[in-house]
Amino acid sequence: MDEDVLTTLKILIIGESGVGKSSLLLRFTDDTFDPELAATIGVDFKVKTISVDGNKAKLAIWDTAGQERFRTLTPSYYRGAQGVILVYDVTRRDTFVKLDNWLNELETYCTRNDIVNMLVGNKIDKENREVDRSEGLKFARKHSMLFIEASAKTCDGVQCAFEELVEKIIQTPGLWESENQNKGVKLSHREEGHGGGACGGYCSVL
Amino acid sequence: MAGDSEPESEVFELTDFTTASEWERFISRVEEVLNDWKLIGNSLGKPLEKGIYTSGTWEEKSDEILFADFKFSITHHYLVQESTDKEGNDEMLEDAIPQSMQDLLCMNNDFPPRAHCLVRWYGLREFVVIAPAANSDAVLSESKCNLLLSSVSIALGNTGCQVPLFVQIHHKWRRMYVGECQGPGVRTDFEMVHLRKVPNQYTHLSGLLDIFKSKIGCPLTPLPPVSITIRFTYVLQDWQQYFWPQQPPDIDALVGGEVGGLEFGKLPFGACEDPISELHLATTWPHLTEGIIVDNDVYSDLDPIQAPHWSVRVRKADNPQCLLGDFVTEFFKVCRRKESADEILGRSTFEEEGREITDITHALSKLTEPAPVPIHKLSVSNMVHTAKKKIRKHRGIEESPLNNDVLNTILLYLFPDAASEKPLDGTSSADNNPSSESEEYNLYNQFKSAPSDSLTYKLALCLCMINFYHGGLKGVAHLWQEFVLEMRFRWENNFLIPGLASGPPDLRCCLLHQKLQMLNCCIERKKARDEGRKTSTSNNVTNTYPGDAGKHGDQLGPDNLKDVDKEKGEVGKSWDSWSDSEEEFFECLSDTEELKGNGQESGKKGGLKEMANLKPEGRLHQHGKLTLLHNGEPLYIPVTQEPAPMTEDLLEEQSEVLAKLGTSAEGAHLRARMQSACLLSDMESFKAANPGCSLEDFVRWYSPRDYIEEEVIDEKGNTVLKGELSARMKIPSNMWVEAWETAKPIPARRQRRLFDDTREAEKVLHYLAIQKPADLARHLLPCVIHAAVLKVKEEENLENISSVKKIIKQIISHSSKVLHFPNPEDKKLEEIIHQITNVEALIARARSLKAKFGTEKCEQEEEKEDLERFVNCLLEQPEVVVAGAGRGHAGRIIHKLFVNAQRLTESSDEAATMSPPEEELKRMGSLEERRQNSVSDFPPPAGRELILRTTVPRPAPYSRALPQRMYSVLTKEDFRLAGAFSSDTSFF
Repeated sequence: MDEDVLTTLKILIIGESGVGKSSLLLRFTDDTFDPELAATIGVDFKVKTISVDGNKAKLAIWDTAGQERFRTLTPSYYRGAQGVILVYDVTRRDTFVKLDNWLNELETYCTRNDIVNMLVGNKIDKENREVDRSEGLKFARKHSMLFIEASAKTCDGVQCAFEELVEKIIQTPGLWESENQNKGVKLSHREEGHGGGACGGYCSVL
Repeated sequence: MAGDSEPESEVFELTDFTTASEWERFISRVEEVLNDWKLIGNSLGKPLEKGIYTSGTWEEKSDEILFADFKFSITHHYLVQESTDKEGNDEMLEDAIPQSMQDLLCMNNDFPPRAHCLVRWYGLREFVVIAPAANSDAVLSESKCNLLLSSVSIALGNTGCQVPLFVQIHHKWRRMYVGECQGPGVRTDFEMVHLRKVPNQYTHLSGLLDIFKSKIGCPLTPLPPVSITIRFTYVLQDWQQYFWPQQPPDIDALVGGEVGGLEFGKLPFGACEDPISELHLATTWPHLTEGIIVDNDVYSDLDPIQAPHWSVRVRKADNPQCLLGDFVTEFFKVCRRKESADEILGRSTFEEEGREITDITHALSKLTEPAPVPIHKLSVSNMVHTAKKKIRKHRGIEESPLNNDVLNTILLYLFPDAASEKPLDGTSSADNNPSSESEEYNLYNQFKSAPSDSLTYKLALCLCMINFYHGGLKGVAHLWQEFVLEMRFRWENNFLIPGLASGPPDLRCCLLHQKLQMLNCCIERKKARDEGRKTSTSNNVTNTYPGDAGKHGDQLGPDNLKDVDKEKGEVGKSWDSWSDSEEEFFECLSDTEELKGNGQESGKKGGLKEMANLKPEGRLHQHGKLTLLHNGEPLYIPVTQEPAPMTEDLLEEQSEVLAKLGTSAEGAHLRARMQSACLLSDMESFKAANPGCSLEDFVRWYSPRDYIEEEVIDEKGNTVLKGELSARMKIPSNMWVEAWETAKPIPARRQRRLFDDTREAEKVLHYLAIQKPADLARHLLPCVIHAAVLKVKEEENLENISSVKKIIKQIISHSSKVLHFPNPEDKKLEEIIHQITNVEALIARARSLKAKFGTEKCEQEEEKEDLERFVNCLLEQPEVVVAGAGRGHAGRIIHKLFVNAQRLTESSDEAATMSPPEEELKRMGSLEERRQNSVSDFPPPAGRELILRTTVPRPAPYSRALPQRMYSVLTKEDFRLAGAFSSDTSFF
């Protein structure tokens, strides 16, 4: 089943509580929306295989609880992630203001520095928007992240967000290749001694 | 198959290849390859720029061809050139002689420092070589050589290829080639003579000119002038006046009291032998004409000092022994040892742990005695003593691998707190370490090693040192055992481990470092618990709390300490009863405030009703201005249990377990349940701290966004805030509600511990104990590589060599890639170590050269800069031109070097005059000796190279004038003439 899968990627979803992280994930994996989704405890986990540019990638997506108290727990799961989706709620400015804290957290706990970050402004279907698209864009540019606005409820931008992220990760070869290689059996192919004889070899001065 | 038209003519023209001989097949195969490589026809390239043979890139293409069952390899060597547009040359093509023939006369690339020998000999920019494929094979017999040569000739003729084609004959080491180049109506034969002994008449210019002329056999008189290029190479091997300064580090100093432990943090550096073995000076006369210079068997005008062109190259010692490289390599070798520590040291030294513990419990009981201040005195020597005794007991009379002094020094270095009287605070004194912000300090992050001031890092260096100087593998095993014993001792006696950052394991560091941090976390909690228990018993408070005393205050929500100050936080009584032992953790509450708060509290308390009869317990501080919804009491943030610290392997295990639950709803539910322990514990603490509270109250603290407040206008027309739980919190029997219902009001310290420090500590200690030296080396290799890179960087800073800077950068990025993944391949690790060694050798070479050329002694700033540039060039380029030749600054220094060396050999020659007279005579008779006498500043040249070039009609006076060239090289045991003689094939 997994035979044609190019690689398995670990993706993390973080952000303040109640911004719709689990809803985004549910929309992406099951294409449903549940207005009454219980608050996540600790971390949750979902898997989905997607195909980007003909490359199949299996995504192991870790959804985290946004409550501050859980924050002492979840950073442990940042380890080894290749992509991070940072979510805020466009109708609640405080969730946007806290993004800096989350970036700090990422910087502190991520074990690698070439990880791909994506900023998602969620709940654009709601009317009482507090954070403008341009603000999100500005923030993303400042921290060199991908940016998209989405709605888990109406499905806007969700699929696209995940695909973009995966594509970007796959375009960053150092991010996933070597890990993949280490798993496979590798025959050591030592280069043959070059130009061994007195002949073909390049002579120096005398 | 074929069309109907003219089938007969095809049949008529049928050609039969079935009877082709091996020879014919060989030739056609050669032609095929030449065609494949598109070497057909003349493509005139640009005239060669000066030095392009060195600065340009050379490439080669190879194929294999068979002559019967004998395998040949055919290789095309060529200088990569930008493709030239051929249009301009079209008209010329008819008549032009092949490019290679023109190259024979080009003087821009004589004596390229690094090139294929045929390039050096003939000045060609491209050529094809056919040579036996196997190194041991050789074409020896004359008939075979001729057969090959004629094959080449036929193939060239058939294809119209104008690239010279060579065949290699005789043994490979002799580098004998014959070949041919064909153009329209012209042909060049490449011939070669190779002798062991030099015929006397050919050791000088005039003799060689004679051969050249007779070989050309030019019918014209007078002969067109012959252009002459000469190069003499002098070798300097004696650097006696410059003693190689590197000394092996003084091992005794390591244990001699004063320098002491400090030395253990330092890595050795440098080459043990002179990494520059020889200096070759090439003196060149690039363009002489016949007659202006005399060089015959009795006299020579060729004085090296007067040569217009000097260039120098240095011969680097092959793989000089380098201390740092050896050091790391030896440590890497430990990774491959399979023995366990016990096997190395004898029998198990851990088996009698039980008895050892009884000793330690003595110490423990001493500590737990109600003394006002526990005496923090840890005698390393005692520890060492007992451990040594134990080892000795097992291994009989054998000496223990590490002697006491060394071991003591190391342990003192690793655990500086053991010697000093100052309290153990778990932080190491970072004295001269790079500041924590610097790039260097953060290297551990990239290498996944450990901070350079950490215990782990120091341990790695010590083990490396032990492995290298003190007892090798046995020493490593011994020190490790001591280390593990020390860890246990500290765990059992509540002494924090020094040199580790406090807090949960840093996942950016190596696993071993994380394990030690984990152990420290355990010790910290145990210590806090024990001390809490001790003070509470001494205070005669009836209830003792075996539970965990969460000690770090949570600073949750919008509140912070300032709020608390403003509000004059009230403190529950029972909290007060045990808080004095912990007050260092809760600075937010001053004593006076506590007292005041207590007074108020007791007053208020009497009036509380219903379930609030419960005494509030485990309060941390008040949560801003929030009050409980039901009774209006201030809302308190409880003391909570710290979440369990995790090392990466535990984490991996846990996430695997969580992931295994799958993605189904039940799986997700189970997963949430598994992780709800922390939530439940927090709820219980909250209930205990806030009697009479509700889930709404909890949510307002824990997840404020899930409590939605709205302004509503009540019946009286006032706007009031009305709050309710968010929809998701109101889902019937969701996990939060469920947990809230099960939660009992229990303060954190009486709850079941979320983190079982005893169990975790034992796990860590067991893990440490079972590490084999090889495992240990693998754990610590990143630290050692980290240290080696820092060392190389530090040394480079002193020398400032730009190329080295670049290499170091590459090493860092390369190793961070390799080391970031679990179980890096040995090959890749070896590569990194090799790179480090190379850099070390490079720096050592730079130092050696600087010493030899005396750059430091140079007084004039400008000259010094020039000299430094010159020395750097010597390191980076194969050959460096000496500006001003023998009269320049560098030239004078080189001259002096030779003069000094000559003086030394002369004096030793005098000593040798006692040798038998016959030999003496022979020596006197030799040409070398005579030359030495005449030019005493320099030794006889180690190599003499000559290129003679002219353009003459050949073979007949009316033939075309074509390039002729002869190269000759003469060394002590080698004489070679390589001639390229062209002739007209139409008019002869």
